[in-house]
Amino acid sequence: MRRHAPLLLALLLAAAAFALALRHVPLRADIADFLPAAQGEEAAFLLRELREGAGTRLLLAGIEGAPEAELARLSRAMAERLRESGLFAVVANGPPQPTDAEAALLFARRYALSPATTPEAFTEPALRAALEAVLDGLRSSAEPLVRRFAFADPTGAFPALLRGWAQEHRIALHDGVWMAEGPRALLLMETRAGGMDPEAQARAAEAARAAFAAAAPSGEARLLLSGPGVFAAAAAEAIRADVRLVSILSASLVAAFLLWRYRSLMLLGAVALPVLLGALAGLLAVQAAFGHVHGAAFGFGMTMLGVAADYPVVVVAHRAPGESVGEAARRVWPTLRLAVATSVAGLTPMLASGFPGLAQLGLFAGAGLLAAALAARLLLPALLPAEPPALRPLPRGAMDAVAALAARRRLVPWLLGGVAAALLLAGAPRLERDIAALSPVPEALRELDGRLRAQAGAPDVRLVLSVRAPDAEGALVAAERAAAALTAAGAAAAFDHPARWLPSAATQRARLDTLPDAATLAARLEAARAGLPFRPGAFAPFLEDVAAARAAGPLTPDALEGAPLLAARLATLLRPENGGWRALLLPEGAQDPAALRAAAAPGLLVVDIKAETERILDAGIATALRWGGLGAGLVLALLLAGRGRAGLRLALVPGGALLLAFAALHLLGERVSVFHLTAALLLAGVGMDYALFMSRMTQEDAAEDARALGAVVTCMVTTLLTFGLLALCRTPVLHAMGLTVSLGVAAAFLLACALAPPRRGRA
Amino acid sequence: MRRRALLAAALLPAAPARAQALLAQVMAALAATRESRAAFVEEKELPELESPLVARGLLAWRAPDRLEKRTTEPFQERLLVEGDRLLLERPDRGTRQETALDAAPEIRPLVEAIRATLAGDAATLAAHHEVAAAGSPARWRITLVPRSARVLAAVQRIVLEGEHGRLLVVETQGRDGRSRLAATPLP
Repeated sequence: MRRHAPLLLALLLAAAAFALALRHVPLRADIADFLPAAQGEEAAFLLRELREGAGTRLLLAGIEGAPEAELARLSRAMAERLRESGLFAVVANGPPQPTDAEAALLFARRYALSPATTPEAFTEPALRAALEAVLDGLRSSAEPLVRRFAFADPTGAFPALLRGWAQEHRIALHDGVWMAEGPRALLLMETRAGGMDPEAQARAAEAARAAFAAAAPSGEARLLLSGPGVFAAAAAEAIRADVRLVSILSASLVAAFLLWRYRSLMLLGAVALPVLLGALAGLLAVQAAFGHVHGAAFGFGMTMLGVAADYPVVVVAHRAPGESVGEAARRVWPTLRLAVATSVAGLTPMLASGFPGLAQLGLFAGAGLLAAALAARLLLPALLPAEPPALRPLPRGAMDAVAALAARRRLVPWLLGGVAAALLLAGAPRLERDIAALSPVPEALRELDGRLRAQAGAPDVRLVLSVRAPDAEGALVAAERAAAALTAAGAAAAFDHPARWLPSAATQRARLDTLPDAATLAARLEAARAGLPFRPGAFAPFLEDVAAARAAGPLTPDALEGAPLLAARLATLLRPENGGWRALLLPEGAQDPAALRAAAAPGLLVVDIKAETERILDAGIATALRWGGLGAGLVLALLLAGRGRAGLRLALVPGGALLLAFAALHLLGERVSVFHLTAALLLAGVGMDYALFMSRMTQEDAAEDARALGAVVTCMVTTLLTFGLLALCRTPVLHAMGLTVSLGVAAAFLLACALAPPRRGRA
Repeated sequence: MRRRALLAAALLPAAPARAQALLAQVMAALAATRESRAAFVEEKELPELESPLVARGLLAWRAPDRLEKRTTEPFQERLLVEGDRLLLERPDRGTRQETALDAAPEIRPLVEAIRATLAGDAATLAAHHEVAAAGSPARWRITLVPRSARVLAAVQRIVLEGEHGRLLVVETQGRDGRSRLAATPLP
């Protein structure tokens, strides 16, 4: 036992360090990390919306499982607590209820804000009609409502303003709170923190859960929550759960297989050590460089466990009888070195690719492979006893099968050529163009989000128009002009835009200029009153308010502290950006992007969200391909430098494996995403390793040949056991990688066998 | 001394227990009236107007929650409250406004002041108003003060008067101005 102590201690330390690192490294799940740097203004706009748009700050909650009255009570209690928390800019659980102060402010500014402020509204005949309408209203049963505003606002400027703000979609109410079918009480919250702040988003989601719990829900009532904070947590949890399951399963399978082959627990531990150190190095390197680890990069790093395991396997398997582990490591090192160098070379371009996600993948894998190889070369000989037990030989049948494959090597070029031709004939591979399918967020949660959004009447925005200006006023003016021009041209029925909520100062000033001066208005009002039962002075509030409005001037975006509801509504459509201001216009009704583009003035951006997302994803795949191609070039250069022309023939193995893997993916009906391509990089590295180690079969020493073959077979089985299980995962990135790598590894092994130097007879 | 005691007894509201009992009796009598019809005259006095506005029409109540106020003078108007729905129709103008009472927290207390009284529903009445009762079951007066501060800003007090299970007078005291609706039961 004593001679195993150093290895055991090292294993324990590495495992503890890895567990500790995993606990403290924040995992992110932002799909935007896997999108390329924006090409063009539309893409830049869309990427920014995906990363930090209003949607990324929106939290949706549903409460269900209790009678409506209880749901309404919970909704109110929750909303009150969340409003007090200060974490949210908006907490809405029913129609907006402006505070008295905000209502008073908007009422005071009604002539500047209301579209009903026209010159015609203040002529004597119009005033006469307005007064008659007031009298009629006072006679009606609606009198209590009419009276509240009629003497200050006989022309109805305020009701006209509210009508302009009314939303098309109305959610049913119970007891004054939103109650969708189910019954389900709905709440909408907008966080103050940006969507790019995962910790704050998680805090907001936690606050919502705590507020629900604090409302003392009765037994059956439950909270449904959806939003970026929830998504990130759920995605991280899903990836963790998948990885946990797969790593336990595959670790036991791999361990069982290696135990059978090695007949020694100690050797098994020796394989695990470089693997653990590699994963630890990858995790720490990415954390140090990026400050967080993307869930997908983490999943990829975990899959590396299966590949980094190849290095110690190769060292141990190549030990000849009577040789020490150190001597074997030294002997294999040149091949191992070339294998690591080609793998890292294949990954290096990802670092420069410009996708943060891809760069993380490259760094994780590169650092992990290097660390694992160094550990296999330097640490293992020091920790293992000089003469560990010999390995169990592989079954004779396996060796014969390989020999049989090698005899058919002439068929390989035909096979590859045939598959390539078939792929060409089948057309371009199907690309994944639905961004949701790439998201690591569990499907059930995405569905819940969709249902809550539909119930809450959140618009399903397909088209967004946007315009930039140096200042807020400029953006408002541009939005007004664009909305008016496009509506007039018939390109859309209507728009939601910031100036609908707060008109530009220019428009407000123009409205105020149409108001008559005090003396004129008083005279017209007096004439209009003739014959009606109003007392003189009944409309004094009206005269005062008009005079006050003329004196007050326009209401500007920077003076909305007293109107939090209006400010919140405006903030989603008008915001500062890079020293300027951006206004958004959302067209209503069915629209044709081409018609909008045709009618749009220069400077107005028309973004077709779906088409633009697809373009970005396509561009992402193209970029990944470009960097992958560059990596392949680097690998070829390394091979040429290391092995000369024979090295180039070795490249047929990874190349052919890629071809066969993608042909198989095509047959399986898989849509190719950026994840498949990153998996392809890994696969190419593995295939390269197989080719390199098989090429050690020199025919001069049958025993050495058998060891080389045994090493590669062991590597392949462990890799298949790991990645084959990953293919069963639901998380898209893990599934894509697992499937691609297992298909490719099998192909790479067969190709490597077939292309190994021919044997001169049976061993 | 005795006169002062009498005066105090007359001025002070009924002892709480007695008032509660009276309110319960009145509510029970009202709840027993499942359907009723009445002609009404409504007079509104507003400080901004030189003369009161007068309207006439018919009231129809059907338990548990349907109240219709059909105005015939000075114009045709129909106000119908049923369940959570409030409907205001002006046939002469062809207008029709439907409001969910849930969405109108400022109207609901005014509607319930009359509807919950007719239904004999003391709980709903008390949910929206502070309720005080005086008089006797044969000739009672219920005074309502809205609980909502917003409603209170517009309507300070609603006084309902009636005999047994019949509501005869609704007097609304606004911030300024008041209205009085007098009902004459129809067979």
